[in-house]
Amino acid sequence: MSPTRIFSTLAFLFILFTIQESAISLIHFPIAGFSLYLAVAISLIAFEDHNGSLVVGFLAGIVLDLSPTSNAPFGQWALILTIVGYLFATNRESFADFTTSPVIFVFFVAAGATMALLMYLGFGTLVGEVNGSINHDLVILFGNALWTIIFTPMYLPALRTVRKISLTSKER
Amino acid sequence: MAQGSGNRSRLLLVILLVTALFFVTLDLRGVSLTKGSRSITQTMLSPVQKTVSTIFSPLGRFLSDVKNFGKTKTELDQALAQNKKLSSQLVLASETKGESAQLNGVLDLAGRGGYKVVAARVIGHGSASSFSQTITINQGSRSGIKKDMTVISQNGLVGLVKNITSTSAIVLLMSDPSFKVGVKITRSQSIGILQGQGNSSYSFVLLDPAGAIKVGDNLVTNGSDNNHPFIPGVPVGHVTVLDNSTAALVQSATVESYANLNDLGVVSVVLAAPAVAPSVPLRPTPNPTVTVLVTPTPTPSTSTTPTVSPSPTTSIKKK
Repeated sequence: MSPTRIFSTLAFLFILFTIQESAISLIHFPIAGFSLYLAVAISLIAFEDHNGSLVVGFLAGIVLDLSPTSNAPFGQWALILTIVGYLFATNRESFADFTTSPVIFVFFVAAGATMALLMYLGFGTLVGEVNGSINHDLVILFGNALWTIIFTPMYLPALRTVRKISLTSKER
Repeated sequence: MAQGSGNRSRLLLVILLVTALFFVTLDLRGVSLTKGSRSITQTMLSPVQKTVSTIFSPLGRFLSDVKNFGKTKTELDQALAQNKKLSSQLVLASETKGESAQLNGVLDLAGRGGYKVVAARVIGHGSASSFSQTITINQGSRSGIKKDMTVISQNGLVGLVKNITSTSAIVLLMSDPSFKVGVKITRSQSIGILQGQGNSSYSFVLLDPAGAIKVGDNLVTNGSDNNHPFIPGVPVGHVTVLDNSTAALVQSATVESYANLNDLGVVSVVLAAPAVAPSVPLRPTPNPTVTVLVTPTPTPSTSTTPTVSPSPTTSIKKK
């Protein structure tokens, strides 16, 4: 990834983070909640090449770690999304190129977001965080996956366009 | 060539993972750098949150109503019938009225307890990407709010102040699984600990071996040293289910809170408690029937509209 694109990706993630924290979080979703930020971050990770997935995952995690409402240690999301980036990068070819099929892509994004939240819970437990009952956590995981499946097709075309614009001629 | 690329990828992965772990270690060891970065973020976000909250709170409340559709279908039908008659201006006016009612309720509770409070609007809710349950309010250290102050609504305890900036504060809700508060049963004065479970129910463990819990028992906060973090006598909830496990060493029960944490528009932060705890246990007053008047609304005065810069400090003497 070029420094210019790292900067533009970081700026995009900051804008997205602001939208998530100030607008999306105000909405009371019927089942649990929806993290637009996490869904878009996973989508960006999925679009990138091997190194790009790692870098975007790390940057997305660092921005998410800035959330003032989070009670997790700073760096936890960076660690988790870097690992998610690595898993996407290494397994992308195993499932063919899922970015070309919107339906499969949506389910991969939902699975990635759920996996990230599961890892967040697991790592949180290791460092002594209290995250509530298993039932409560399962509802949050299910709710987030459901809303990700519903909303991802809506933002996907716009995200593809934004990404195309941000690519340099060499990267295209 | 491909091997060189693979090595670079592995090196990049190791560098990023080590960096992330380095940050985690710094945070867990209490280095202020990481906490400072979150505080800066909150300072930057709070003006945006205030603006967005003002614009989108009707939408958020609408979706909240949809969420409770099954529970309150009759009320929603009536509300929908009323909404058809109202213009968009009157919808906004009723929004202000609702917040005003909540503000009146919370000031009424604060007045009966003799608390010195500062009213605040809820401008944000906790992120869906974390499992913590928080709200963001539009008052901060400029209004005298400090960390670990008790936050109440018109119906009782809401939570406590977790982080503050000059213009905003983050409140840890009592439903958060990490939230624990010492409470006592008003009937018997037996003390126990109430803990959030991430949803609308709470677990209550009685510490008094000779005491007994009954369904319907009312719980109020027991209070902390120097009234921080909890002031005494704030209504918390009532016992709904007893946990009748014969093998248990302590008595426990499930509690339902008085405050509806899904519908918070206005809350109050208790700046100072009375010198003497309320002698009569406080109980939240039932919500009055809201009557929507279809008349042109004059410019609202600051005493009834929390949205128009509520007075930063409201001190009410106990009658």
